[in-house]
Amino acid sequence: MKISLKWLSDYIALPQVPSDNAQTTAEIVAHQLTQAGLEVEGIETVEQIKGGLKGVVVGQVLTCDRHPNADKLSVTTVDVGGEVPLAIVCGAPNVAAGQKVLVATEGALLYPSEGEPFTIKKSKIRGEASQGMICAEDELGLGASHAGIMVLDTDLPNGTPAATYLGLDSDTVLEIGLTPNRADAASHYGVARDLKAILNLPITKPSAAKFIADGSALPVSVQIEAVEACPRYTATVLTNVKVGPSPKWLQQRLGAIGVNSINNVVDVTNYVLHGLGQPLHAFDLSKVRGRAINVRFAQEGETLVTLDGTERKLNVHNLVIADEAHPLAIAGVFGGLASGVTESTTEILLESAYFSPAVVRKSAQVHGLKTDASYLFERGTDPNMPVYAAQVAALLLQEVTGATIATEVNDVYPAPIPDTEFRVSYTKLFRLMGVTLEREQVHQILRNLDILVQEDSEYGHLGFADEFVVSVPAYRVDVTRLADIAEEVLRIYGLDNIPLKPYPSASYLAPQPINENDKLQFRTGAQLAAMGWQEMINNSLGNPALAELTTTQGLVRNVLMLNALSEDLAAMRQSLLFNGLASVAHNINRQQRNLQLFEFGKVYRLQDPEAEVVTKRYEEKWQLALWSTGQAVPETWQAASQDQTYFLHRQAVQAVLFRLTGQTIVPQALVGDDRFAYGQQWLFNKQVVCKAGMLTPKLAKANGVKQTVFYAEIDWQYLIKKYKTGLQAQEVPKFPAVRRDLSLVLDRAVTYDQVRQVALKTERKLLTDLNVFSVYEGANLGEGKKSYAIAFTLQSAEATLTDQQIDGTMTKLMQALGKELGAEIRS
Amino acid sequence: MKESIQALRHEIEAAIITDLASVEQFRLSYVAKQGKVNALFADFKQVPAEDRKAIGALLNELKDLATDRWKAAQTALEDQLPAGDVPQDLSLPDIIGRVGSQHPLTIVRQEIIRIFSNIGFNLSEGPEIEDDWHNFGALNFPDNHPAREMQDTFFVARNPDMLLRTHTSSVQARVMQNQKPPIRTLSPGRVYRNEAISARAHCLFHQVEGLYINEGVSFADLKDTLYYFVRELFTPETKIRFRPSFFPFTEPSAEIDISCQICHGEGCNICKHTGWVEIGGSGMVDPNVLSSVGIDPEVYTGYAFGMGIERMAMLKYGVRDLRLFTENDTRFLRQFAALG
Repeated sequence: MKISLKWLSDYIALPQVPSDNAQTTAEIVAHQLTQAGLEVEGIETVEQIKGGLKGVVVGQVLTCDRHPNADKLSVTTVDVGGEVPLAIVCGAPNVAAGQKVLVATEGALLYPSEGEPFTIKKSKIRGEASQGMICAEDELGLGASHAGIMVLDTDLPNGTPAATYLGLDSDTVLEIGLTPNRADAASHYGVARDLKAILNLPITKPSAAKFIADGSALPVSVQIEAVEACPRYTATVLTNVKVGPSPKWLQQRLGAIGVNSINNVVDVTNYVLHGLGQPLHAFDLSKVRGRAINVRFAQEGETLVTLDGTERKLNVHNLVIADEAHPLAIAGVFGGLASGVTESTTEILLESAYFSPAVVRKSAQVHGLKTDASYLFERGTDPNMPVYAAQVAALLLQEVTGATIATEVNDVYPAPIPDTEFRVSYTKLFRLMGVTLEREQVHQILRNLDILVQEDSEYGHLGFADEFVVSVPAYRVDVTRLADIAEEVLRIYGLDNIPLKPYPSASYLAPQPINENDKLQFRTGAQLAAMGWQEMINNSLGNPALAELTTTQGLVRNVLMLNALSEDLAAMRQSLLFNGLASVAHNINRQQRNLQLFEFGKVYRLQDPEAEVVTKRYEEKWQLALWSTGQAVPETWQAASQDQTYFLHRQAVQAVLFRLTGQTIVPQALVGDDRFAYGQQWLFNKQVVCKAGMLTPKLAKANGVKQTVFYAEIDWQYLIKKYKTGLQAQEVPKFPAVRRDLSLVLDRAVTYDQVRQVALKTERKLLTDLNVFSVYEGANLGEGKKSYAIAFTLQSAEATLTDQQIDGTMTKLMQALGKELGAEIRS
Repeated sequence: MKESIQALRHEIEAAIITDLASVEQFRLSYVAKQGKVNALFADFKQVPAEDRKAIGALLNELKDLATDRWKAAQTALEDQLPAGDVPQDLSLPDIIGRVGSQHPLTIVRQEIIRIFSNIGFNLSEGPEIEDDWHNFGALNFPDNHPAREMQDTFFVARNPDMLLRTHTSSVQARVMQNQKPPIRTLSPGRVYRNEAISARAHCLFHQVEGLYINEGVSFADLKDTLYYFVRELFTPETKIRFRPSFFPFTEPSAEIDISCQICHGEGCNICKHTGWVEIGGSGMVDPNVLSSVGIDPEVYTGYAFGMGIERMAMLKYGVRDLRLFTENDTRFLRQFAALG
């Protein structure tokens, strides 16, 4: 919302400050308004002529001679009030000595009517020095004429700014970010009213005392069918209207706040709207059939061509202003084209009404319309304003269109809306605010806000009563309860005037349930970071089509936005995979090719569209995912680089799973996941809790990544649910462990997991650990063979193992591996 | 004999021991069984009986001297490494492993949680796909009210309306619905607004909201709590101010400004030369909200506040572009490696 300081000054005397003050009047007002809840988001100077003609002054041509080197140019000297006259080369045919002219001096920035702005510089024109420019109308942006320089008829001394000669004036406009509750401040008068309370200054309203109807026309009959939707409707008839352009002052007033001038009638209604906050509508009375207005809801099937030329189908939510036959306007929202004011209009019906905010909002929504009028009506206008506003507007119309005020304001207000009255307890008020004020100070603030205060009649005069009664004017739709009174008092008293204590205090500290999710996310993240992984946060919205890239998702499970920003942000992610891959691609495209990334995030799916509890229709689950690509170990002078492998990737996965489950889970073969070229899955409580592997090159490529990408997806939600904090410490072993190595030659098809299982089955007691320390394949082993070198750790909780025990165990293991897996032992 | 002892003594004292080889040489010459000291002992038999005591003492002294020198040399050379064991150039570059990092938003979120849990706030979570009532209705956003326009909303279903929560206040609505006062809780989480992505706006961001409901909670309590918070999160010198504002779920409502962390109040581009930057909204829980979740507003009052985690991170770390948080450029993320 734009507020002009000049306009505001009509209603309240703004604090004046000397020009050398650190803060301008605008800045002071802006600060005061902001601190009271009307946030000023910007201060702008509005010039009538762009640039304000700075550097352009009145001058007098002293001499004018022909340019020695050019026929069409003149060499002049011009007095611009300086010590020495300026030499100026001028191309205008009409220049002559003695003329008073406008001179753009060196440094002046001009905005011509057409073309780019330019700055005046000293120059030489065909060998003659020129220290300025004698200006034509179009060069100054004053008009289109380039017939010649402007010759002034003035006695103003040379050097007088052109702005003074032209009567130009600048205005300062405040941009206020009005909150939806403050309908009362949505006008210049409304802002002045708040300033009155803040600055404790009087305000003045435009007088309507001169409103006198001459009774030259019959009043228009007004019937309100929908009284709840339209509690008040007023109609005033003006005749002898001459529609035409508005006077300059009116155009400037509106122009300053960015409202285009249309014609004098529309401009007056806009002026009153922005001035007093009362939207008005002017109908061409000759188009109102039967000289009768009916305020009613539209019937299905009725249509109206609105002022923008669009034919709109009306429905039962549209409150309309109708004549005896058809709708003329959508009440409070938009006028109709047929009954609108045109150049041929001579009689107008001026509407000034109060409509129900909810009705106007619904009605405007039906057509997706937002107008200045609907903006105000749907936030709540002042029901006590229509008559006064109609009078002010009628007087203005009389002034600017020559209209005759033909009828009184026909005011139909069957059930007047009372001021809001309620009781307020000082104790509760001060307890809510956290500060105790003098009662008189509270009263003073409220009185300045036009809120009447009555002390409780019984004890109030003795100062004992804890309650007082407030009567809030109807235009303060937002003040209905004690909490609202607290806000009013605080915003004027100043929130910052409540003293701050150095320490917060509370009579209650909430018990801290162990929120494992948050803590574990942070700790696991820290662990992964320490292992060289970087945490990402990706958008949870993505392209719905991504779900089609894998059978693990599917379009039908997409949660789709009904009002998406774009197709790329139209669905919620079903896994962390794709948006993470996009970040992988983003990095690779920026020469960051070696990546180890992880993300904690929610994934979303349509679960059961028919579920009774609506939130159960959707599934939201926490997931942890890891992506890696490129080199795992960078090249250094000590060692060559090492490419990322599935096994290096899995190291991080296992670390996370161990933290969450307290055990090392042996992964199994991956089943039914087309995202992976190969990989494994982890079961916990018979539930798949993790999948990891290499993404198929096709999938990676479809997401813009040509490198090999390893990926893992962990069901964080499930594991968190199963997370146990309890732990009982075990005794540390008292007896030493021994290591024995075996080099096994195996068929290629035999897996390490088989070896491990046979070994553990064979020696359940003493075998505490196995570790593969070498994997070898080579021609010398024979076709289809491989060799695993494995370290076996044996340990007893009861005694130090003897050589005999150790050898016996190893023999047993060798026999079992040989028998069950065909393993040969190499020495 | 005496002279021999004296000569050998001088020899032992003069022996040069510089490395392991010369230690061994010394041992063989003077300490070993076949060494020169022991050879003198062999001559001892010829010493006349009356001189034996004195000579014996001298010999023993000599033997101790050799042994002591040998042991001292051995100890001294324990720390002397073979030449090949000393790196030739210690200025070779670091062997840098993979450097990991936690996301700046995670770091800031955790810091905020720490600060508020220190003063007795616990944590609560709620769904991001939310029903209209918890996101709007319970929070005093009536149907068809202009206040709904303050937050551009993504809808995923109509009649009944399901939407992506526009604030974590929806979690507060759930907590209030399910718990009896006193309530003191913090709800961090992801929220959505239907806004085009730019340096200053995003369709998704993270919020943290706090709620305290009890008997006699005041606006002054709110101010004190937030004052404590900003000094903890930023610097102890941070100043705070409050501007009246409007949120449907609080009354009175206030926006929270802190002294600009970049220019410390001097005025800069970040604070638009005001010296103050906005960090969030706050206020006293609206009585309508309390009523709608079944808490008696005549008995209880409370405060609530909400802040964007991105905003905090931008102010704390001087991040100028909101998009950096979700682009995951590792050159950006890596900068936070020391903070996790």
